[in-house]
Amino acid sequence: MPEYAIETEGLTKVFRSRFSSRELRAVDDISLRVPAGSTYGLLGPNGAGKTTFVKMLLSCTHQTAGRAMVFGRDTRESEARRPIGYLPENHRFPTYLTGHDMLDFYGALSGMDAAVRRKRIPELLNLVGLEERAHNLRLGKYSKGMLQRVGLAQALIHSPKLLVLDEPGDGVDPVGRKHIRDVLQALEQQGVTIFLNSHLLGEVELFCREVAIIQKGKLALSGTVEELTSGSGYRIEGIGVPETLETELRIRARSFTANNGSLQLLFASRGDANQAIDLLRSNGCEIESLGRTRSTLEEVFMKTVEPQ
Amino acid sequence: MNSTSINATLALVRDTFREAFARRIFWGFFGCCSALLLFLMFIMRIDVVQGAIATVTIFGRNTQSTDVEALVQQTQSVIAMILYFAGMALSVFASAGLVAAVFEPGRIELLLSKPVSRTHLLLGRYLGNVLVVAANILYLVAGSWIVFGVKTGVWGGGFLVSSLCTIFIFSVLLAVLVLIGVLWDSSAVAIMVTFAIMIITPILAQKATIERLLSSEWSRVVVRVLYYVLPKTSDVSVIIRHLILNQPVESWMPVWSTALFGAVVLGLGLWCFQRRSF
Repeated sequence: MPEYAIETEGLTKVFRSRFSSRELRAVDDISLRVPAGSTYGLLGPNGAGKTTFVKMLLSCTHQTAGRAMVFGRDTRESEARRPIGYLPENHRFPTYLTGHDMLDFYGALSGMDAAVRRKRIPELLNLVGLEERAHNLRLGKYSKGMLQRVGLAQALIHSPKLLVLDEPGDGVDPVGRKHIRDVLQALEQQGVTIFLNSHLLGEVELFCREVAIIQKGKLALSGTVEELTSGSGYRIEGIGVPETLETELRIRARSFTANNGSLQLLFASRGDANQAIDLLRSNGCEIESLGRTRSTLEEVFMKTVEPQ
Repeated sequence: MNSTSINATLALVRDTFREAFARRIFWGFFGCCSALLLFLMFIMRIDVVQGAIATVTIFGRNTQSTDVEALVQQTQSVIAMILYFAGMALSVFASAGLVAAVFEPGRIELLLSKPVSRTHLLLGRYLGNVLVVAANILYLVAGSWIVFGVKTGVWGGGFLVSSLCTIFIFSVLLAVLVLIGVLWDSSAVAIMVTFAIMIITPILAQKATIERLLSSEWSRVVVRVLYYVLPKTSDVSVIIRHLILNQPVESWMPVWSTALFGAVVLGLGLWCFQRRSF
């Protein structure tokens, strides 16, 4: 199996106006590698180019330059799309079909035989909690949450190796979101690559191991969530710190907080933090906790996309 | 074509039928066809004596007797013409929505994400659409052919063949709907363009008369070019009449040139669909 589930090289999409010379670079020279079996989040503000990027992966939108590959195959080949399961953001499923019939239709388009579909559909409906209503109720009568769940079942119908989800938690209540997350975690355990495009930064932070942030069509930042959220400082919490030592440490620290006999210090470098530990220990102080400072993904995101 | 392709094609055709059922298009056609068949079965009474019609009773009124075969053929040609022009207009009107629906945002992306080529997707939908209309045309034509056959003993095959011509012309006009649908996503524009073709082509069929009325050579050339390029709906209707009345067909040019137009327009539609970003 190829090392990367998704690989793009200089992927660019320029939308040109038919009647004027205006053009919009929706995606600008993005090179990205998503390792097979990983959980990858794509982030960016509205209009950053995330959906255009995803559409190019699925060959819905033709790239102006560069190339996109899925498991080593150019996505412009229809066969390259066979291992992909996709849930679009503003999906419009055929309202005249029942959930069961919809899965049957998309299963057939995914190349599944009727016998395989008959076996697979009840399993999936059970997995997303729609086994009772999916046979008789037309999709036009489904709630937004039910549509998301049947949409997820649709994306999973042919047991894809890569799942591309565009805002899967959109319109789903917290219980439903937890259910979807559980399903995705089970798929991750099975080695399915999950590529998540979402505005819900908390969801992405909880679920994805790696993220990329797109800003104005360009790749602004990428890396593991661990790397991106680990701060540049070190935090030490000491107890029973004598006043003279506290004064000395306050001078060395980047910031500090004193509260009920505990002193929390933040140091900019590892060297400063080690010296502080030596001083605390040599003065017989207790160290309650220590560690690297962490940012939330939201902080990283805001720092990346907000104008300086 | 392997089993995967056949599965996908069947799924697309089945989906078109389901959408036609849900939009009541299929049942609307079916109802109209059934009403016409019931009319033929119960309203028209024909008494045949030794190969000639003794009396024909429609709405309880007798008409003068005539040769059975001639009367049946004349009636069949009237039905075929109604079906050809009125049925065609209705079919185009109903099918425009079925074509444009595929290009709706949120639906097209999901279809394109499947391992099926764009050509296959569009042709599957096109085939489904043709079959929806063909099913009703064949139902009406075969039904009335049986009614006439049972009532009069006349079983000429021309009427059945005429239904194939009607389906053929519809499939050509559907290609126009597909092309406009791909280019503009608008069923209204698609209907307008297709209706314009349906209105212009019978006028162009009178090209000899029109050319006599035109003073400049270039305008005569324009009329001639338009006549040969556009589908010849009017000329094909004449061929249908000849087939039903067992008369020889003078020229098949209107059929093959119309087929060529349909193939080019459908090919253009497929090409535009291939190149389009959604």
